[in-house]
Amino acid sequence: MVSHSDRSSIGALTTVGRRFIEGVLTAWTAVSLTFFALRLIAGDPIASLLSQGLASPDQVENLRRSLGLDAPLFVQYLNFLAGFFRGDLGTSLFTGRPVSTVIVEQLPATAQLAFAGLGFALLFGLTLGVISAWKEETPLGQFAASLAGLATALPVAFTGILGLILYRQLLVVIPLLSVVKIRRLFLPALLLGFASAGAIARVVQAGLKETMKGPYILAARARGIEHGFRLLWHALRPALPPVVSLTALEAAFLFAGTVVTETVFSRPGLGRLLVTSILQGDYPIAQGLVVLAAVFYTISHMLADILAFTIDPRLRRVT
Amino acid sequence: MRHHLPLLLSVGWLLIVLGVSIAAPMISQVNPLHPVAEPLLSPSQHPPLGTDALGRDVWTRIVYGGRLSPGSSFAAMAITVVVGGIAGLIASSLGGWFDRVIVWLSNSLLAIPGLLLAMLLVAAMGPRLLTVILAVGFGGAPGFVRLSRTMFHQIREQNYVTASVALGANRTWIAIHHLLPNAKNQLLSLATTHYAWAFMGTTTLTFLGLAGDPSIPEWGVMLNAGRAHLIDAPWLALWPGCAISLTILAIHRLGAWLSQREEGY
Repeated sequence: MVSHSDRSSIGALTTVGRRFIEGVLTAWTAVSLTFFALRLIAGDPIASLLSQGLASPDQVENLRRSLGLDAPLFVQYLNFLAGFFRGDLGTSLFTGRPVSTVIVEQLPATAQLAFAGLGFALLFGLTLGVISAWKEETPLGQFAASLAGLATALPVAFTGILGLILYRQLLVVIPLLSVVKIRRLFLPALLLGFASAGAIARVVQAGLKETMKGPYILAARARGIEHGFRLLWHALRPALPPVVSLTALEAAFLFAGTVVTETVFSRPGLGRLLVTSILQGDYPIAQGLVVLAAVFYTISHMLADILAFTIDPRLRRVT
Repeated sequence: MRHHLPLLLSVGWLLIVLGVSIAAPMISQVNPLHPVAEPLLSPSQHPPLGTDALGRDVWTRIVYGGRLSPGSSFAAMAITVVVGGIAGLIASSLGGWFDRVIVWLSNSLLAIPGLLLAMLLVAAMGPRLLTVILAVGFGGAPGFVRLSRTMFHQIREQNYVTASVALGANRTWIAIHHLLPNAKNQLLSLATTHYAWAFMGTTTLTFLGLAGDPSIPEWGVMLNAGRAHLIDAPWLALWPGCAISLTILAIHRLGAWLSQREEGY
């Protein structure tokens, strides 16, 4: 006889296991597709070196041999996968340094920006979402809702530049603001967070509207609990799982946002690295970055599902 | 009437952009690629929006950008809709293994943010405006496959399709005579919503310098060029930035209205 709690924990384990295998398969397919797409479209990835006059035909031939590009495509693919599992993503065509080293060097700058951006995204998203659900019929609520809409629609390239112009003007009035941290981290993270806040706000608002109809809210109301407290404590918690999943997705998509933010604010980082590698035709770096993005997305997606599972006990019973 | 004001303004802006881009050579007789005056002149009577770092007329470049930016993102959107729509139609009408493979491939590709996928494609094809269009077009396709497949599935659940199957219609006949005609309106609203994404995608990639040529009068390219003069000539970044933002907002509003109208049925 299996007790109820045992059965639910076994169910939880198999769900987590299935989710894990699914995630690994997704990442593998994405990695393989990018590999083949890049090779089939680009044809010879180092032909650009020859056309740019950066290498002589002899050097190109040597490079091709040393990179293993003279082997059949499928063998190259197996080599790539084998290297990938050893943490070897190939070497840069220009500097000859290992791609993984270059990426690890630039990672902290981007991680810092992305985490700070995610913090701002949650702050703005939750605030705008709660306000637009709480004060739905008032001008304040409508303002919050349209601000959330603007956040999703406006391109980071423009809001970033707008922020930079305003900051320069403010600097004339308040010279105290000229701390490096503000220009290099606070401002870019603020604008990056604002761009991701719109989607979060919409999910928070939709979730609150839904959970406010729940019987436990009626019960809370019967117990004489205030509207604001009901909303923030009783209704917000069950509305959170979709927010958690979305935040995990946003975390992965934030990387795409950092590409633009790093360019606007001239910050070093992975985004900047991706752009320069594409402009130089340094395909191993571009490929390594995109592969990492896919793996990161899959992991954060997986974690989000498991986390949602932990926050909302009702999800456990369904499976 | 008051309720429709944002929609009217949006449609108005899009019509202005369309009109100005068609009549570009008549609106401005100057060549957008050649200098006309001193560099970095501030906006005044002449030239109306000032000149850029090479002395080119910003107003003329904005006007010609009204051709390049909306035009190239429209081409990108068309690629996405055709490729994604056909894949969704095949998945939905053939079902079975076709469906499973298409769903699996598109879901896996969705693990890479659309913008990054597009950047990877530019990396493969080399930085040019044409490759940006192709990259944004194909980069958006995985997401569109999912949307169109769901849509075709919903239509297939309708009673008239079941009746058609009962009368002996085969899958191709149903796809051509039922799925496609009935998807027309919904496809239009999905395509409009996606146009906003494609517009954001192309201008972002050109902003990053992935169009290669920095002299073309394209709004994203101009926004990028303006970055160098944020203090002495902030308008260089403001004009193209406003043009991009207004166009995206207008397309969003139009798309929202179209999909609301769909749900209203």
